[in-house]
Amino acid sequence: MIVKVSDNIISPLGTTSAENYAKVKADISALRRYDGLWGLPEPFFASLLDRDAYADDRHTIDEKIVIDSISKSLERTEIDTTWTKVLFIISTTKGNVFLLDERENGYPKERVRLGMMAREVTKHFGNPNEPIVVSNACISGVCAQIEAMRYLESGEYDYVIVCGVDVQSAFIVSGFQSFKALSQEACKPFDAHRCGLNLGDAAATIIYTRKDKVDDNEWVACRGAIRNDANHISGPSRVGEGSFRALRVALGDLDPSELAFINAHGTATPYNDEMESIAIERAGLAGIPVNSLKGYYGHTMGAAGVLETIISMQAVDDHNILATRGFDTLGVTHSLDVTNHNRYTEKHAFIKLLSGFGGCNAALLMAKGGLQ
Amino acid sequence: MIKHQVYISPNEVKVDGKTLTHNEKGSALLTELYRNNIGDYPKFFKMDTLSKLGFIASELLLNAEGDRVFEPREDRAVIFFNRNASLQADTHYQSTIQNPENYFPSPAAFVYTLPNIVTGEIAIRNKYFGETSFMVIDDFDEKIIMKNLENAFQDPITKSIIGGWVDCSDEEHFEAHIFLMEKDN
Amino acid sequence: MDELIYKLKQQIIEALNLEDMKPEDIDDNASLFGEGLGLDSIDALELIVMMEKNYGIKLQDPAQGKEIFKSVAVMADFIAKNRTK
Repeated sequence: MIVKVSDNIISPLGTTSAENYAKVKADISALRRYDGLWGLPEPFFASLLDRDAYADDRHTIDEKIVIDSISKSLERTEIDTTWTKVLFIISTTKGNVFLLDERENGYPKERVRLGMMAREVTKHFGNPNEPIVVSNACISGVCAQIEAMRYLESGEYDYVIVCGVDVQSAFIVSGFQSFKALSQEACKPFDAHRCGLNLGDAAATIIYTRKDKVDDNEWVACRGAIRNDANHISGPSRVGEGSFRALRVALGDLDPSELAFINAHGTATPYNDEMESIAIERAGLAGIPVNSLKGYYGHTMGAAGVLETIISMQAVDDHNILATRGFDTLGVTHSLDVTNHNRYTEKHAFIKLLSGFGGCNAALLMAKGGLQ
Repeated sequence: MIKHQVYISPNEVKVDGKTLTHNEKGSALLTELYRNNIGDYPKFFKMDTLSKLGFIASELLLNAEGDRVFEPREDRAVIFFNRNASLQADTHYQSTIQNPENYFPSPAAFVYTLPNIVTGEIAIRNKYFGETSFMVIDDFDEKIIMKNLENAFQDPITKSIIGGWVDCSDEEHFEAHIFLMEKDN
Repeated sequence: MDELIYKLKQQIIEALNLEDMKPEDIDDNASLFGEGLGLDSIDALELIVMMEKNYGIKLQDPAQGKEIFKSVAVMADFIAKNRTK
């Protein structure tokens, strides 16, 4: 079985997983409005880190928060990162892309290459293996965990350190603005009045290993799948094809009533949330509570799949189904049970669902103590 | 098991080891290959160089497989690796926002600033509902790529993979080396 | 008006990379989306950018595009009435 050893989140809400979870549980969001930031003509809502607190002469902010997040995850573990049986997988959509700006000259330009950025990280930890960067749009964070499961399952590595990261910049914000995808206020996942997404900065790490037996309180990554809509490169499928198929594989033969909740992508764009409602209904999961964490963090892109898995594990540990911040009135065609307040649960499993540009979708089943 | 393979560089094209004759080089070569081998998919001209390259390579690969059927299937994955991610598209998009006096961010350019779009283009063309994935390593490494593709067969449905290396740094510099792999029984 | 329509067709072909099309191939009244030219949602967003760049027209609500991008003739009429450059 593939078991979680440790985790960490660095976000505007805190620098440990516990600190982040406590803020989310208390309904605290880091989303705020920015006017004229980075010379952008249009204002936007986002969840941003204090740049000056992180970047230094040697490392960009993306690299620095990855190194910090992994360092914190390694505390209280026995893992020696110089072992050949330790693999690093970085999940990012646009890491270091700000270096393309002609006005940016603080770091070597070659670090815009994701493989070079990842090597800065493995160099820091003295790891001898070539790091793998998963860059699969917004589903990267779940894909990276699925890759980790496969590398451990094959026996090639004993520990895989998965770190998701993205830091917002003029490049990313202007692009989403050109798509008319950004909301001018805090996002409202699954709500009737939702009008787009917010973006966010974060790095999040999960370390996985392989074990024959697990304790009741250990988290197991059970099954994951990646599927394509085969429909359009930017618009999600109108029938939720890829998400439905990914959900079906992740669920497998598990009785859906074992699920505490589905942590959806829930970006709050009109099309995404509608698509997810169709996919969840088609997968026979319409009765399961659904939540989205975008109202607390915005869309943290390459970090999202890792960060949202960690917060969801923390929630189950706390017997809690988290509220969907920003959600009030259901605004999708299928009658999903979207949470708008924290709820008690005794269940031990959840599904993390994601979708992204390129028509890609991913689902991951996590269960505390493993599947019975 | 590898069934077919395709290699494309700015001045060489090989299908299953046999050289394909052509007149053009660089970006014009991709257009020539499109006109000679496909011809009825005008979306090609909207693609960034990475997508054009991966799309053409996959078309040659699938033509080598035999008669094309565009029936939906979930058991074939598309998994690529490269060095430069979407650098050519990134540079192009950056040019639309670099100058504040001429600031017109282009959505059609932005959508290609994700390397996995090429896997989506191939899935759309062929109606593949299977896994699509894109990974970056800083140097071509056949061992890493082959091991990763073998691992992908751990998926309970995947039986076949279009996979390999699809890289471009700008419109004139690119390299594709992709395979059609079937799961061993 | 005819001059604007012809110019607009050239600009649409360029902005949307309609490589194998000439202005003569586009009917003034044919629908740009679905049947007709077969443009998609990204093309619609790109046309919004094109109108701002070439004619100084800023569409705040992308849904407005649905009406304006009905055909080249409708688009030209809208541009003639609203252009600032």
